[in-house]
Amino acid sequence: MAKHDESRRAFLVRAAVGAGAAAGAGLVPEAYAQKSETRREADAATSAPLHSAGDGHGAFFNHDDAMTIEAFAERLMPGAPDKPGARDAGVLNYIDLALAGAYAELQDFYRRGLAQLDTFCRKNYNEPFRQLGAARQDEVIAALEEGKATGFTWPTAQAFFSIVRTHTMEGLFADPIYGGNKDFAGWRLVGFPGAQTFFSPTDMQSRQVFTRAPITGLQAQAKDPSRR
Amino acid sequence: MATEKTDVVIVGVGAAGGILAAELGKAGMKVVGLERGPRLTTADFTTHDELRYFQRQELRPNAKRQPVTWRPDANSLASPLPILNYGNQAGGGTVHYGTLSWRFHEDDFRARSRTVERYGASVIPADSSLTDWPLTYADLEPFYDRAEYELGVSGKAGNVQGRKIDGGNVFEAPRRRDYPLPALLADQSGVLFEAGARKLGYHPFSSPRAILSHPYQDRPSCSYCGFCQAFGCHIGAKSSILVTKLPEADATGNFKLVTGAMCYRVNSDNSGRATGVSYYGADGSDNTIEAELVILAPFIYDNTRLLLLSKTSKFPNGLANSSGQVGKHLMAHITARVFAAFDDRFVNVYMGPSAQKHSLDDFNADNFDHSGLAFIRGGQVSVGPADLEAGPIGAAMSMNPPPGIPRWGAAYRDFLAKYFTRYAAIVAQTENLPYADQTIDLDPDVRDQWGMPAPRLTYNWQRPNELARIEFMFQKLEGIGHAMGASRVWRSPMGPGSPGAHHEGGTRMGSDPKTSVVNRYGQTWDIPNLFVIGSSTNPTMSGFNPTLTIQALAYMSADALVNRYKKNPGPLV
Repeated sequence: MAKHDESRRAFLVRAAVGAGAAAGAGLVPEAYAQKSETRREADAATSAPLHSAGDGHGAFFNHDDAMTIEAFAERLMPGAPDKPGARDAGVLNYIDLALAGAYAELQDFYRRGLAQLDTFCRKNYNEPFRQLGAARQDEVIAALEEGKATGFTWPTAQAFFSIVRTHTMEGLFADPIYGGNKDFAGWRLVGFPGAQTFFSPTDMQSRQVFTRAPITGLQAQAKDPSRR
Repeated sequence: MATEKTDVVIVGVGAAGGILAAELGKAGMKVVGLERGPRLTTADFTTHDELRYFQRQELRPNAKRQPVTWRPDANSLASPLPILNYGNQAGGGTVHYGTLSWRFHEDDFRARSRTVERYGASVIPADSSLTDWPLTYADLEPFYDRAEYELGVSGKAGNVQGRKIDGGNVFEAPRRRDYPLPALLADQSGVLFEAGARKLGYHPFSSPRAILSHPYQDRPSCSYCGFCQAFGCHIGAKSSILVTKLPEADATGNFKLVTGAMCYRVNSDNSGRATGVSYYGADGSDNTIEAELVILAPFIYDNTRLLLLSKTSKFPNGLANSSGQVGKHLMAHITARVFAAFDDRFVNVYMGPSAQKHSLDDFNADNFDHSGLAFIRGGQVSVGPADLEAGPIGAAMSMNPPPGIPRWGAAYRDFLAKYFTRYAAIVAQTENLPYADQTIDLDPDVRDQWGMPAPRLTYNWQRPNELARIEFMFQKLEGIGHAMGASRVWRSPMGPGSPGAHHEGGTRMGSDPKTSVVNRYGQTWDIPNLFVIGSSTNPTMSGFNPTLTIQALAYMSADALVNRYKKNPGPLV
């Protein structure tokens, strides 16, 4: 556990200094150039990488469970060219950190849910979930969602599906400071610009896509004097 | 145990308590306000974090440590509600609310009489306790005006002294003058809603909101960042009690706020007077305040809970409960919602104040003819994001995809990727009739972190009148979505029978001590120096959000306390 705590602390320090950096990742270069000196300064101060060489888990999940959750989340929100998915966003990293912190009370929920999922898959497909092909994984997830997967007591199959879905969406769309939404992958997927300081009357009534950059995350907000 | 003496103690310093603290303090009364949570400042809201404030509900009570339980009927076991929809800090719900600031309609104050006059008594469901208020709109109008001007509400009038004004809410009750601030800017969803509703012959308008459209009272105007509902305002443009009445109360020199203070009992003596309250301090201390006047103004559950927990041999059924009405007539808004997707434009619904942005009132109250319909009363219709706040977590959690698209997988990803910036939700917030068997009492099994019994709600909105009205509203909402030019419109499923937003009732006001708990001033019939002020006293609820009415009632009570009660303490009616 000591090792986990240590690596988690190291991660959090990196995340804290790094979350704002992705805003400067050159998503929309021409618009990005228009940003204020203040914002530029805020971004410059936070240019460390968000994710270290770590494999996105270790605060809670063991390796097998991590691979299961990563595969599960990726089937829920699969990546494709120009469409970042759960893996691109570091959803596993988010859930792993959340279960070691804010959602620690759900540790047993996940342990038991994952054990039941494993039993179900081995019984019906002779392999654990993480080793099934995508189509099989989708079959399993559908069976969970519909409550048709057998052998689940607590959590129920539907409850397990529902929590993993919720946490996948959080990992995709929560501010990067929580360890997911890497490089604003989730926000780029749907076109959300984060917490902008303001929207102008023109922005408000525009029928066009909003492109003013950068996407604004928590670190940039905290450093922006116009927000005080 | 510390004992302190004061003129007035107010339990809960939110929408009502904050106004009373300021007004009574100005009149020279020494006021102590007890607040369960902290006192935050505008600087605390610098970062807008959807996970923290929307998804994890940081500005709400913790549902595990401060549980509220619910059961659909008296024969079922109650279980804790997963989310509590009210405030947990100084300023109460006004810190995180969407700021909708409505005046109730004239007929909202006389829902029973109006219904009987127009349709006959037989249309009122036999089990409903539908009634009239012990006051009229005209009685409250001066205090609505004061609330709008003192707090800062933006909107466009639709009825000034009987003169109807196009572009405002032409169904609103007559007001003496326009709003203090012009309407907030419409976003693209508002523009579409406005055009679509007009095409159908309805009367859309910019929703009145306690957000500054221009600088006012040394506060800046809204920056349209979109983080309103569930969030504190980072510039103080939201007219919360935190930035309006609490500074006024401080300035009187007569107000002391105690944060982290959990009131657990109203004390009374054998003469039938309230003598003060007892509370647990943030440091674990057990404290007593002796006061000439006790005002309860927490969220509705705690009024019932405190009155029941404070029973004595003189008041064996709880304080102020000689009528047996304490805890009855619980109401909550029931919401029908459709989603509209647009292929010809971006909507960017995350821009601008997030909740109930643009409205129409054509199907609220008795603004339309219910003849031949299977229900009475109505709902307020508005456009906005999926769940009153507009971030992507909210959309992912609260917007069901249209039929044919699953909730996950590549098709879902593509749906969200395309339509997060191209959707709007259209919502009908409908009025729950009062029913005496919708109740709040003390849970026999579940206790909160202080060891107090949890409030237990017995409630099920799925009654014939409400179900028929929801179906009617769904059809109207679908029509509006299509008129807005949506390529696809689909319904959001209705939840279980649990209570939705804006819980009201439990300490009903009335004109008869036998059938109500308090009079029009919130003064309890049984104990003249004990007041309950807030939406727990609403005898009926209207389709409108309750906050401005809570605030107007607080101003009216403060006025009566300062100008009448202070000179001659005793029954006010």
